[in-house]
Amino acid sequence: MTKATHQQNLQGNHACALAAVAAGCRFYAGYPITPSSEVAERMSLELPRVGGTFVQMEDEIASMGAVLGASMGGIKAMTATSGPGFSLKQENIGYGVMAEVPCVIVNVMRGGPSTGMPTRPAQGDVMQARWGMHGGYQIIVLAPASVSEVYGQTVRAFNLAERLRTPVVVLIDEVIGHLVETVRIPDPGGLDIQQRNWAAVAAGEYQPYAAGDDMVPAMARPGDGYRAHTTGLTHDESGFPTQDPETVERVSRRLLGKFEHHRAQIDQFEELQTRDAEILIVAYGISARAARRAVREARSKGIKAGLFRPITIWPFPQQALTKAAKKAKRILVPEMNAGQIVLEVERVAGRGRVKGINRIDGQAVTPSDILEAIGTGD
Amino acid sequence: MAGMKVKKTSPRHEFEIRLSGSGGQGLQLLARIFAHAFSSEGKVVAQSQSYEPTSRGGLSRSDLVVGMSEPDYPLATNIDFMLILDQVAVKAADGVISDDSLVITDARLVTDPPKGAFRVLALPIMETAIGLGNPRVANIVAMGALTGEGNLCSIEIIEAAIRENVHAKLTNLNVKAFQEGLNLVAN
Repeated sequence: MTKATHQQNLQGNHACALAAVAAGCRFYAGYPITPSSEVAERMSLELPRVGGTFVQMEDEIASMGAVLGASMGGIKAMTATSGPGFSLKQENIGYGVMAEVPCVIVNVMRGGPSTGMPTRPAQGDVMQARWGMHGGYQIIVLAPASVSEVYGQTVRAFNLAERLRTPVVVLIDEVIGHLVETVRIPDPGGLDIQQRNWAAVAAGEYQPYAAGDDMVPAMARPGDGYRAHTTGLTHDESGFPTQDPETVERVSRRLLGKFEHHRAQIDQFEELQTRDAEILIVAYGISARAARRAVREARSKGIKAGLFRPITIWPFPQQALTKAAKKAKRILVPEMNAGQIVLEVERVAGRGRVKGINRIDGQAVTPSDILEAIGTGD
Repeated sequence: MAGMKVKKTSPRHEFEIRLSGSGGQGLQLLARIFAHAFSSEGKVVAQSQSYEPTSRGGLSRSDLVVGMSEPDYPLATNIDFMLILDQVAVKAADGVISDDSLVITDARLVTDPPKGAFRVLALPIMETAIGLGNPRVANIVAMGALTGEGNLCSIEIIEAAIRENVHAKLTNLNVKAFQEGLNLVAN
């Protein structure tokens, strides 16, 4: 990774591991599971080379706990899994949200529910990534659509995790995770890396959950002499539990509000010919690659089609979609599930003109699936 | 808010290859060597795979979409060159090959090849590998036949890619297997 940029054939899962290391990740704990195992495998090779730690844990729950512990200990940390493991990790991810522990969780989606189809692709965890935990909360979920984007979005996941002091999910589908593409990965020296915001006040004045204008509290670096109490219970600025209504209201509003405050940095999306689009496709991951081709083929036949691709899928980029959908008479939402993001698109654009294109047969959405729904007359 | 625009022009798309057979026949390795060779020529490759949760047997396939820039859709939809090394993989030809496609099959292991207006070449791939003393190089024999018949890539570049992707002890055997594959389709 110290070499200058060069062209190489890289698998999505390997790109994820390389990006994590480039973003400063020095701790990985996980329990290998298809189709995410190559992330763990590559991390086990890369981390020792940079003085990092790789732990193959006894299960997914413990993995997530170890990641939180490592991050609280001052190290950027990550785990990777697939659906069944993602379910197991939810409780500890919730702890990470509440205790504001920066970390990255990679979920390479496979067919479900339950153990489903380990080697077949799906996009069935979109709602789980948003709502998988109990309690009201915000979370950031990024959905890359190519190998080079897996790299970029994994780096971004670490940056957002540190900037907002929160768990960030990278949601990859099996196709993209296992896809090998010829890519040019950036020189790690040229990457924009967010470092942790360490507490710098006098030890006696430090409050682990007191935030300034940016709504994100500075963290205590272990060894710097700060006292920091951490709990999953609702806590005040001191880090100790409270049930005082006024305080609870204040700290809960901040925990949710920091995401809106940093929204400009969180939102990311891509548009292809949306300006005059009468038929708008909204898609993410591999389904968006199918949509890209479908849009170009439809355009070549004179059909005004366009693509809106959320890259950050949660929080959902509703303002940008509203704008992109202005002229759309029909909005098509291809997904490898029975209809998840389509609900969000309906919320934003209104139900009448929105229609899902759903594959739940363990196969990727194809350009022809979308062209058929567009109705190109072929 | 960070919105990105994609270029309106379509990426230049050249050809698609499907390498299919049964698990354990080295099809993923074959795809990796091809991908290595094409990208050494400056092309951009998207390589995808499909496999079943067994280590041996069962349909295994690997696809390559080759062009000059990142393809819109990285999965194969219209195969130009197809290799079938086992009867179990014949079904992988359904709906993705057209009249212009070239299909190469193993004459012994594929008893009922796909039928259509496309060209099917049944070649003694496995027999050649056994003749070389190791049936496991059937994938590389097939690589020679595909490369020669499809005029896919320069011979030197493929040989270099083989050298970089197989164990040093087996380099000579694999290069020989590749040449024997080329011979199967010479003249």
